[in-house]
Amino acid sequence: MSKILIVDDDPDIQEACRLVLEKEGFTVGCASNRAEGLRQVAEVKPDLLILDVMMEEPDDGLTMARELRRGGFTQPIIMLTSVNAAMGITIDRDDEMVPVEKFQSKPVEPATLVAQVNELLGL
Amino acid sequence: MLTIDSAIRDDIAAVVERHGAERTSLIPILQDIKKEHREITDEAMQVVADLLDIHPVEVYSVATFYAFLHGAPEGRFVVRLCGTLACDFAGKTAVAEALRTALGIEFGATTDDGVFTLEWASCVGMCDQGPAMLVNDKVLTRVTPAKVAEIVAEYRAKGADETRQDIVTARNELTYAGIEPDAGLKAALALSRGDIVDTVSAAALKGRGGAGFPTGMKWNFCAAEKSAHKYIICNADEGEPGTFKDRVILRDFPDLVFEGMTIGGRAIGADMGIVYLRAEYAYLRAHLNEVIQRRRQAGLLGKNVGGIAGFDFDIVLARGAGAYVCGEETALIESLEGFRGEPRNRPPFPAVAGFLNHPTTVNNVETLASVACIFAKGTDWFKSFGTDKSTGYKLFSISGDCEKPGVYEFPWGITVADLLKEVGGAGAKAVQIGGASGVCVPAADFARRLAFEDIPTGGSVMVIGAQRDLLDVAENFLEFFVEESCGQCNPCRLGNPKLLEGVELLKQGTCSAEHLADLKALGATMQVAAKCGLGQTSPSAFLSIVGAFADDVTTRPQRA
Repeated sequence: MSKILIVDDDPDIQEACRLVLEKEGFTVGCASNRAEGLRQVAEVKPDLLILDVMMEEPDDGLTMARELRRGGFTQPIIMLTSVNAAMGITIDRDDEMVPVEKFQSKPVEPATLVAQVNELLGL
Repeated sequence: MLTIDSAIRDDIAAVVERHGAERTSLIPILQDIKKEHREITDEAMQVVADLLDIHPVEVYSVATFYAFLHGAPEGRFVVRLCGTLACDFAGKTAVAEALRTALGIEFGATTDDGVFTLEWASCVGMCDQGPAMLVNDKVLTRVTPAKVAEIVAEYRAKGADETRQDIVTARNELTYAGIEPDAGLKAALALSRGDIVDTVSAAALKGRGGAGFPTGMKWNFCAAEKSAHKYIICNADEGEPGTFKDRVILRDFPDLVFEGMTIGGRAIGADMGIVYLRAEYAYLRAHLNEVIQRRRQAGLLGKNVGGIAGFDFDIVLARGAGAYVCGEETALIESLEGFRGEPRNRPPFPAVAGFLNHPTTVNNVETLASVACIFAKGTDWFKSFGTDKSTGYKLFSISGDCEKPGVYEFPWGITVADLLKEVGGAGAKAVQIGGASGVCVPAADFARRLAFEDIPTGGSVMVIGAQRDLLDVAENFLEFFVEESCGQCNPCRLGNPKLLEGVELLKQGTCSAEHLADLKALGATMQVAAKCGLGQTSPSAFLSIVGAFADDVTTRPQRA
């Protein structure tokens, strides 16, 4: 079954996503910051990444997404974030600066998250 | 209803045509009217309002906000004596008296023959060479009472502004001098936009203007915004008393600043860069415009910059009109748009809705020059200076009671004591770090470090000798804030006069312990309740002085 890595500094988000996705049969891992996330990506080689933006630094997720793409990570990324509401900004995905497949604002309905994961994994 | 002479209308119409009948042109229009007519009359405001299709009260509100626009009719030569602390230490009072005598007028007045107007300036950015004063756009340094008579006589005799400027800034060896021209720009333009942002983040560059916000993060959010237009603004409104390092960078290393702006423009996706130059630095305009023009001719500005198809980026110069608060980024943007320089509510942040509501990044002069160096020499090189949390080197503006005032580069993390050794500041009883909005550090704390994790600063270091009265220091700063508060929020507008009144009471020995406690509480409230960063930091010097020097400032004998 596909492996999903959640990188988010909010343990409640980690736990909620894990419960929802494990119920669907996915293998789910979690990391709480950018450095740990990068390490786990290298070790676990997830099939899909769910990535927060505001972690130790408010722009960590943006930087990490580009870091991964620069390093050759080609698997889909869902950016799951409240950065727009929290920072009063209006960003979205784009190939240059926000290289992710989906930009999803929090909160997200479990069914929506599952649908996005399935779509990106071709399930 | 005003009756307006057709000649005045024609004159002003010509000025408006020159700048364009747009709101963003309002301040340049008013600057030209002031220069040509020496005052902005009600009639002139009415004509400008008609031509810009705005209400006259809008024009009035702007014309009366800025120090270089408002006021009674001015003489042909406007003499502005700097009132800041370092000029005070250097003998400002005697120079002021000499000016009064030579001109026969008080400050705020114009001679009967209409030749001279005498005014105070909050700070002209010559703290290392005080007493300093501006005569129209020219700056005169190390003025003495004896020189005043000569200067006045020369202006009277020649009837023209031919006096030579005499700026000589002491400095140590600056890294900027060893950076290969445009090497940073070339290296940066070979990278993707994302890689440029990530390089700046990896260097951990923090803003050099004082607030210390991470530059890479600022660029990151602005770069991720989508917009047909974006702007990068160079904040050259160096108005913090005791700060003058940007003046040196703009004069001696403008290419590095423009390189940094171009790199930033590429990163965030901007098509226009704007340098907001403070009115007091008007004498730098011609030089900066020449450098911009040279860069255009070299293909470093304009269409397809650096040979990158579609990267169209140009830089223009805008001039402030004399308002300290415009150093605050949203007030600066308001000013650029032709409004009073009053800080905006945030959010939205400039990264989303800045100049003309487009995503905008505002960076300090030194920050942008540092960007060029990072790309020229690499992030590892940059991080080899400073501390883990304060990477790189910093330019410090050193003034006051020391042997070698000037602009000095040191790595972040230098102790106050080591810095004083370098500039001959032995025997200081305190240093004011960060300008009027900074903190007063007593000699007992000179082992502390200048770094974001200890004493953060935009680089101003005013050395306070043993002979000085710290209540005079607090008074000077609070007079500055009373004058320069934009007046928009109560904590800053009303708080600073109360603190100033408290300093007077302390001097008179009539400030009770209870009242002083109230003043400290007021200062603490201002630090959280003022609308902008400048208002929030305005009580810092007062609080640090009455805190660290309580034994001195609270024990004055009661005056009869």
